[in-house]
Amino acid sequence: MPHTFRIENAKRNVISSGLRMVLANKRYLVWFWLLNLFLAIAGSSPFRASVHPILDHSLYSEGLTQGFRLAEMFELFARPEFGATRAIATPAAWAACLFFLATALFLPGVFAGYASTYRLPREDFFRACARALWRFVRLMIIAAIVMGVIAGLLFWASNALVDKAGESTNERLPFTIHIVALLVIFLIMTTLRIWFDLAEADIVLNDQRAARRSIASAFRHTFRSIGRLLASYVVTTIVAAIALVVGIWCWIHLIPSNSITRAFLLMQFILFSLLIPRFWQRAIAVSYWQEKMLVPVVEVHPIEPAPVVTPAVPEPSPVIPTSPAEFEGS
Amino acid sequence: MLIRCKMVALFIALLITLTSIPNQLSSQAAPQRVSPPKAHRSGAAAENRAIAIPDTTLAINSPTPMSQRVVHYEIDAKYDAATHAVNATEVLTYHNVTGEALDHFPFHLYQNAFQPKATFVRDSKLMGSRDTGYEKWQSKYYGSEDIKSIEVVGQGDLTKELQFIAPDDGNKDDKTVIDLHVPKAIPNGAYVQFKIAFQTKFPETQARSGWKRDFLLGGQWFPKIGVWWHGSWNCHQYHNTTEFFADFGVYDVKLTVPKNEVIGASGVEVGSAENADNTKTVTYHGDDIHDFAWTVSPRYQVREATYQAQMGPITLRFLMQPAHWSQAERHERIVRDTLDRFEKFYGPYPYKTLTVVDPEPDSAAGGMEYPTFITGGASWIAPAGYKLEPEGVIEHEFGHQYWYGMVATNEFEDAWMDEGINSYTEVKVLSSILGRNTSVIDMYGSTVGDFELQRLFYITWPDFDPMAQKAYDYVTANSYGAITYGKTATVLLTLEGIIGEDTMAKAMHAYFMKYRFTHPAKEDFLKTIEEVSGKDLRWYFNQAVYGSQVLDYEILSANSFPVNWYEEDKTKKDAKKNKGKDGTVYQSYVTLHRKEDFSMPVAVEIKFDDGETVREHWDGQSRWTRFGYVKKAKVVSAEIDPDHSVQLDRNKFNNSFVVQANSHPTYKLSNYWLFVTQLLGQVFAWWAV
Repeated sequence: MPHTFRIENAKRNVISSGLRMVLANKRYLVWFWLLNLFLAIAGSSPFRASVHPILDHSLYSEGLTQGFRLAEMFELFARPEFGATRAIATPAAWAACLFFLATALFLPGVFAGYASTYRLPREDFFRACARALWRFVRLMIIAAIVMGVIAGLLFWASNALVDKAGESTNERLPFTIHIVALLVIFLIMTTLRIWFDLAEADIVLNDQRAARRSIASAFRHTFRSIGRLLASYVVTTIVAAIALVVGIWCWIHLIPSNSITRAFLLMQFILFSLLIPRFWQRAIAVSYWQEKMLVPVVEVHPIEPAPVVTPAVPEPSPVIPTSPAEFEGS
Repeated sequence: MLIRCKMVALFIALLITLTSIPNQLSSQAAPQRVSPPKAHRSGAAAENRAIAIPDTTLAINSPTPMSQRVVHYEIDAKYDAATHAVNATEVLTYHNVTGEALDHFPFHLYQNAFQPKATFVRDSKLMGSRDTGYEKWQSKYYGSEDIKSIEVVGQGDLTKELQFIAPDDGNKDDKTVIDLHVPKAIPNGAYVQFKIAFQTKFPETQARSGWKRDFLLGGQWFPKIGVWWHGSWNCHQYHNTTEFFADFGVYDVKLTVPKNEVIGASGVEVGSAENADNTKTVTYHGDDIHDFAWTVSPRYQVREATYQAQMGPITLRFLMQPAHWSQAERHERIVRDTLDRFEKFYGPYPYKTLTVVDPEPDSAAGGMEYPTFITGGASWIAPAGYKLEPEGVIEHEFGHQYWYGMVATNEFEDAWMDEGINSYTEVKVLSSILGRNTSVIDMYGSTVGDFELQRLFYITWPDFDPMAQKAYDYVTANSYGAITYGKTATVLLTLEGIIGEDTMAKAMHAYFMKYRFTHPAKEDFLKTIEEVSGKDLRWYFNQAVYGSQVLDYEILSANSFPVNWYEEDKTKKDAKKNKGKDGTVYQSYVTLHRKEDFSMPVAVEIKFDDGETVREHWDGQSRWTRFGYVKKAKVVSAEIDPDHSVQLDRNKFNNSFVVQANSHPTYKLSNYWLFVTQLLGQVFAWWAV
């Protein structure tokens, strides 16, 4: 497989090259969006099943479509017929988990597709997924431990700081500290995400069987190019935040409260838009990998055959018969 | 002689009429039950003549006292900001108007509630709590109120006679009520004077009293005598769900605090002096009030304004947190609007001051009422569309100036009469100011009205306790809140539908005017409504107030079918021929079901597909009933309570039935849930892989 990858070691803008990869492989976005949608439809079906019998034949429920009466919604949730919140929330959580697992399963194919110089055939996509499956599982476990421990420590420290700030008479201080702490946590966690994204890229594109080697290599590269990579990831996250805020603003201000179809389409557009930045980040990882982590190709000169040296052997002298009989006998 | 007598009689009558005219002109302003000052001076015992309760009117816009003044507190208190403690002397003059001689006097020592073995803390652990949960005891929770000495004038030092009692639960470790037996009983009509030295140590704010950082709210902080009510002393222990009960009187309080503190208190400020020890002493006077609270913080920013009320000007004083200064105008606007509505709807506000405290953030001091002194609640992030704070909380606490402050019900035993009636008037006043459907939240297309909030509060715990129950006897603190606040408001809103909104407004006005500056009980309120409405409402009160019955009506079914349904094919052909108008006669049935044990008459509106609307009435006595029709039209929908006046119905979704299902609401909500589920998946996948 590696022979199909782009070999571009020249320094380049990872943001733009990453975006080009994403745009050249839009089908992945569509597939993941569809996966996200269908899993969520399944996960939210118990909610629909609970709500249908309560709302469909009631005039009171019109308060939910003409404007939005929040109290009615809470009253609905309080109804015994609605069922336990856990029964509604658990399938949704499962759908979210399945989407995460599906992402983990198909991500090697995406990395391979992004690195490919041509449209990656389906067989190659799934082959990449299959080859990297267990390596990804190992990597995810390590990532979960590392990120979980660090996130836990960071949030613990953040809470301690906010509590301490709460003793101040400056009311805004705890909030400010909280926001700053969240920002710092975001940057640190994003750095960790970069590290493991590079490791994922390396596992797939370098066909690295030993996850630890990819992790070690990615660790070195992450901190070697931290400014560049972090800036790229932050930019893409800001794009996601803007997409979410603008989308919700449009939802509130442009979509009539009784227009369900338009609201659905807008929501899906928002969710589709939110997928792009994360895939963009992965493409940035691929782009960086190609630039810096690809095993360098050593220039090998063609082997020229050594000149054939003719030994200085004198040519044999002609044999001259000494008698005619000898000449005839030969 | 007869003529002369008649002339004299006529002259006297004229004189009486003329002298009564000013009173009649100010009948709106003057209370119905005014205790003439002379009553305070006509003590029965000669030795008590020197002691009396002042008939001052310095703090009210009335030329005469408005309440029967039973107590006079003179307190000289010094606050130590470092230890959050107050050392004080208290001279309490008590007027025995009980009709009998008294040989013992119970006192509340509320701050002793904040001790690990106290009933308050035990109840909080058992029933849940509004603020401190006491999962783990911390020293900052500790509060105390110690009487160092008590002397009864004319009977000497009786400190040794003090004895803690626990009239509610017998908890020997509870020190919130102390009883004093006096050697010589105080006869009816006489005065008795207690001279008390005490120390109060405040806890970190709990139950809207105490300190937080450099802020202090001094509420329920001094030894306070019980109320002689219905033939005995009423002096309950302090429980986590109870509030207070006290007699009206006069308060003269001197507060010595560090010089840098900004101070606010009940009543009017009548003096201020700086002391040599870097402190200042501020003196307050209150008339016709039954409690006294105060607050200090060095960081308050003060805004003052004047409001022209029906009885005279009121000085509005706002003590704002610096970070909330931009909301001072918002605070003032809601206070002005609320005052305006309360005076229009219920009666005049007679006091000369109102102090609104914006308490320390994260303190358990927000949302509390004391006479002429309330605490609100605000945050430096305050979207205009979110009106629960500050508007909702300020309106609510101001409402307590009427329901608790002036109509001083027993909050230990009839909590619904202050919190609940206040929640009802809160709905009315906020609806009038901020809109019925938008008085709590009006942002991003979402709305919540206060009537909905109260109802929602109620339906979370609808059936454990009745309204007519002692506040400390509820199953949980949540049930107490749901019933006293939410259910009472909902019951009274439903009552509007039974007697009419205007009649209910008249009844509320009559109740306030009749019972202000008194201690009415349940029946006083309920009978006033019956008298004003001219209706016997026992059937309703027995279920709604005295019972814990739950109301839930539903449309069980609504359907139509052709009379000659057995000739269905012929009917269809006829319909095709006549383009749908086939003249088919349908039998339609609507079945109503009373699901729970609360019964009341209800209206039902049935709509047919020819546009006809039929309104029926059902007395709700049986478990179900059915209405049948034979018409050339099919039933489209049926709705119980089409005027939406029965707020007490715990499930409004089943109050109506539309034959043709409308899935729009379901799809709308499902769409939201789908979005949340998808977003959750994306966020998870963003960080985890």
